[in-house]
Amino acid sequence: MTGRNRSGRTLRGALALAIATSLVLVLVGPAEAGSNRVVDVWFQRSGEPVAATRHAPTIMRTVQALLAGPTHAERRRGLRSAIPAGTKLRELSIARRIVTVDLSARFAAGRTDRAPSGRIGQLVRTVRGIPGVRAVRVRIEGGTPIGLFPGYDLRRPVFTAPSASRAPGIRELQQLLVDLGFSSDSGVTGVFDPRTATAVLGFQKWVGLPRDGELGDETISALLRATRPQPARRAGGRRIEVHLGRQLALLVSEHRVLRTVHISTGAAGATPVGSYRVFRKERYSWSVPFQVWLPWASYFTGGIAFHEYPDVPTYPASHGCVRVNGFDATTLYAFASSGTPVDVFYESA
Amino acid sequence: MNVFRRRLLGSVVACAAVLVAGMAVGTPSPGRAAEAPVARPAPPPELVVALDLGDPALQAGAIRGIDVVVARGFEVDLARVLAKRLGSTRVRLVNVRPAGRRLAAGAVSWHIALAALTRAEVNEAHATSIPYLPAGQAVVPRRGVEPPRSLAVLRTLQLCATRRSAGVATIASVVRPDQRPILAPGNDRLVQLLQTGACDAALVDGVAVGRVVAGRGQLLGRVAVRVDREPGVVVAVAAGSPIALRDIDRVLRHLRASGTLSALARRWLGIDPARLRPLVAVEPTEPPTTLPQ
Repeated sequence: MTGRNRSGRTLRGALALAIATSLVLVLVGPAEAGSNRVVDVWFQRSGEPVAATRHAPTIMRTVQALLAGPTHAERRRGLRSAIPAGTKLRELSIARRIVTVDLSARFAAGRTDRAPSGRIGQLVRTVRGIPGVRAVRVRIEGGTPIGLFPGYDLRRPVFTAPSASRAPGIRELQQLLVDLGFSSDSGVTGVFDPRTATAVLGFQKWVGLPRDGELGDETISALLRATRPQPARRAGGRRIEVHLGRQLALLVSEHRVLRTVHISTGAAGATPVGSYRVFRKERYSWSVPFQVWLPWASYFTGGIAFHEYPDVPTYPASHGCVRVNGFDATTLYAFASSGTPVDVFYESA
Repeated sequence: MNVFRRRLLGSVVACAAVLVAGMAVGTPSPGRAAEAPVARPAPPPELVVALDLGDPALQAGAIRGIDVVVARGFEVDLARVLAKRLGSTRVRLVNVRPAGRRLAAGAVSWHIALAALTRAEVNEAHATSIPYLPAGQAVVPRRGVEPPRSLAVLRTLQLCATRRSAGVATIASVVRPDQRPILAPGNDRLVQLLQTGACDAALVDGVAVGRVVAGRGQLLGRVAVRVDREPGVVVAVAAGSPIALRDIDRVLRHLRASGTLSALARRWLGIDPARLRPLVAVEPTEPPTTLPQ
């Protein structure tokens, strides 16, 4: 056992020595030692990290290649560096596989808080990409940076490159739909479900996107810059606006849209334009002409009502009533108390 | 020899005349004696300024030991302007983290401290200047909401703030809104809440509001008012410092009047919080005019 332990220790020692030797060679070794070594140097294109290859025998040469910036050809391809031109490498050292890079004050020039991941990201990605390097310690003029790069504690070594941009997750998008009034709090589940698809449909109708109910790039982009829908008419109190063009019902309270609901109105203009009031409410309403139960019905003119319906397409499809999707039917029913004004119109937009 | 004697005599007479004239000028007349200022200590050739690095807009940099080797930000520029106006030829910046929330008392290695300090955060042993920045919360309304004209109007709005921020404390202690405020985990979410209309107005640190709204002007309302809880951010003058507090106050007043402070604020903070209309009048505590004995 003792012999095996000793041999294991010797093996580990030899391995550590080999790694240390190779790192020292990579760090300060002659150009010949690794003249064919191809390394990735990281730049940016439209804010996203992009690698460019360089022949650099040492870590020092690799960092210098990074500081030199993209070549003319690379610039023509749209590559840019967030590191200010003229940044000098003052010193480079390595200990315990952590590379300390000491840069001139120029590295911190300009507004570093505007693109915080840029400079540090490029540096860390480039140096961490070198085999054997575990982390990068950044120094500026020999000093420890504090507060210069928001979001990074550079008093400690950086082990992983920061992500350049993060796509919003489903939960964040669902929260946005809630904030904008297209869904309720219970719609934030972290899973793309039928309720989310219904809320997305409502949003797509409002902003005029193709009505597919999916969170595609265009819809996500629009969601991220969207503002809450505004009522079309200036009238106080609680009321409902039915937008026949967009196929949406807006639940408005004191000029503020509380909820925007995906609906389907009467085909071929069967839902009459005009100003009405809710006059009858029935939890279950029996439709005599169509011989069907209509849940959560709020009548506002003649036999025309808001009611829940299993099929709410993106276009006018009913016989005149306003079909409400199953996720919002109870909300609309609770909102539309007797006497609530209902404005039905084709919006100009 | 005669010529030499005559020249010597002439020199002696000239020297005596210069001496007498000098004494005459230097001696205060009876009328001026009463106005003669108390002998002021000469400004130190090297002004040592204590910072508390960390905020990219107020003060950030790189340190070796306590020495700041690279520095930038509103308070760094202000420290340099102050030093120049006070007559110091050099500035040495040192990073001194206040112990807890109060700047420590006792023997200190700096003359003045600029570290986003309010008077409450400075130990009574040190003196404090007049404020150079308001310490209040800017009101950022959502798009479509006018900046509130009064605290009563602000109270009726759905407010939001970042969790554990001074904004939350201001909402609770000064605004006391009708509706429970919405708390956001960070500034991005805060802006999202405004953008989506989930809240009507957010309370954001006056010194940070410029960065929060930068590039998002189209999505948000106009930032025009603020709510103060404290008189403002002050310069701490170390006990026993050769810098006279009244000189610092004089320079700060001049910098405010000349627009230098405002220009610095716009450069580093994006918005000068002093230009936002305060919704609440905070009684400024008159700073002591002399250093505590």
